[in-house]
Amino acid sequence: MNINFILNGKPVWADVPADTTLLSVLRDQLGLTGTKEGCGIGECGACSVLLDNRLVNSCLTLAAQAGGRQVVTIEGVCGPDGGPSDLQQAFIQFGAVQCGFCIPGMVLAGEALLALNPQPNRVEIREAIAGNLCRCTGYQQIVDAIQATAGSRQEKNQHV
Amino acid sequence: MEQFGYIRAATVAEAVALLNEPGLNSCPLAGSTDLLLQIRHESSTGTPKRTDLPRRVVDISLIPELRRIDRQRDWVTIGAAATFSDVLDSPIVAQTAAVLVEACRQVGAVQIRNMGTLGGNVANAAACADSLPALICLDAVAHFITATGEQSLPVCELVIGPNHTILPKGGLLVSLSYPIPLPGSRSTFLKLGRRNAMAISRLTVAALGRLRPDGRIAEVRLAAGSATPHIVRLEAVERELVGTKPGPELYQAAGKLAADEMVRQAGRRWSSEFKVPALIAMTARAFTRIFEPENGTQEER
Repeated sequence: MNINFILNGKPVWADVPADTTLLSVLRDQLGLTGTKEGCGIGECGACSVLLDNRLVNSCLTLAAQAGGRQVVTIEGVCGPDGGPSDLQQAFIQFGAVQCGFCIPGMVLAGEALLALNPQPNRVEIREAIAGNLCRCTGYQQIVDAIQATAGSRQEKNQHV
Repeated sequence: MEQFGYIRAATVAEAVALLNEPGLNSCPLAGSTDLLLQIRHESSTGTPKRTDLPRRVVDISLIPELRRIDRQRDWVTIGAAATFSDVLDSPIVAQTAAVLVEACRQVGAVQIRNMGTLGGNVANAAACADSLPALICLDAVAHFITATGEQSLPVCELVIGPNHTILPKGGLLVSLSYPIPLPGSRSTFLKLGRRNAMAISRLTVAALGRLRPDGRIAEVRLAAGSATPHIVRLEAVERELVGTKPGPELYQAAGKLAADEMVRQAGRRWSSEFKVPALIAMTARAFTRIFEPENGTQEER
């Protein structure tokens, strides 16, 4: 079936069987391999994307469900200059990335949280990334990076 | 080859018509978080997790009517396709049913709560479904539409066992509604999992209580999930508490009664060794939270 949706701000389409997951369309049809497949059963969060601004597991979402809707993947996250966003820079600065496999999902989980709750405490950050498994870092640096970004965004907003 | 087709319904009437189209085994798709796993389980193992795997899914998740949460006089109605996040965002539910808010907050992780729906949780009827004990504690009623018309049933009569409802083939769960508990009622939900987040419930307790002006118990409700095959209010426990004065000994006694009731209904199992003491402690903790909120902390992490 034909599926049209808005991907990272641009209209895209794919002609795939109706039972194809959104994850498969993103990676195999559209070539955006930033979204990862970890467990394939909604446990690990490596495939997290934003669907209409809400964080979802693209392995548990049919591509057809995204039809006519907005999808944002890690390829759609960037700073104003097209380079890494402030959150991505914070991940680098705090050493929050080791093997990197979980990081696209982790960054999107962080962005989804900050969009709804610009000043989260550490418990709220931990809750927001509870569906994103990282086997390298132990999460502390990831939580630090999200918290620091929340702080720097607030400062920036106060200066504007 | 594709295992199933996909079609999106724009209205409830269209969804019911599609679900009852002859010659096609159709099934509603809401959050997709359970259904896709069940379908994939079959294709990867060859053994179906359910016997009625659909050949077409009817996406009901974008029907506005099914996402609505509203209050009419003494009842709150939640559309079956409202996600757990929708429920958590609703001030109406927050004001009327703490037990349901706490249950929805403990479902999966944010990714699952953003897609998974209350109606899907009920219709899928997993033994460990977090919303079921909360809804049953609230005396919630399920409203569904079949080819022959509209019907309503208490949730505890619709869901009669693990993965087992009496929702007829082609039936569409439309909404869940509950009578708003009387003023002064307090309710809570406790979940025991193997870890804090993303855990499948090993045991859950949903409880509600209200005191009389003289400090004795006017009303109490208790339901436990993953405890018995058929989730119902534990009336044998509730009866013993009404009219008595709340206190730690009473909560322990209530826990023991609840555990007795679990063993009576479910039989003694390999898991009873941990579920009996766990249910006693969780019941006691739930009633402490309800009747002594100053002693029962909300977050225990």
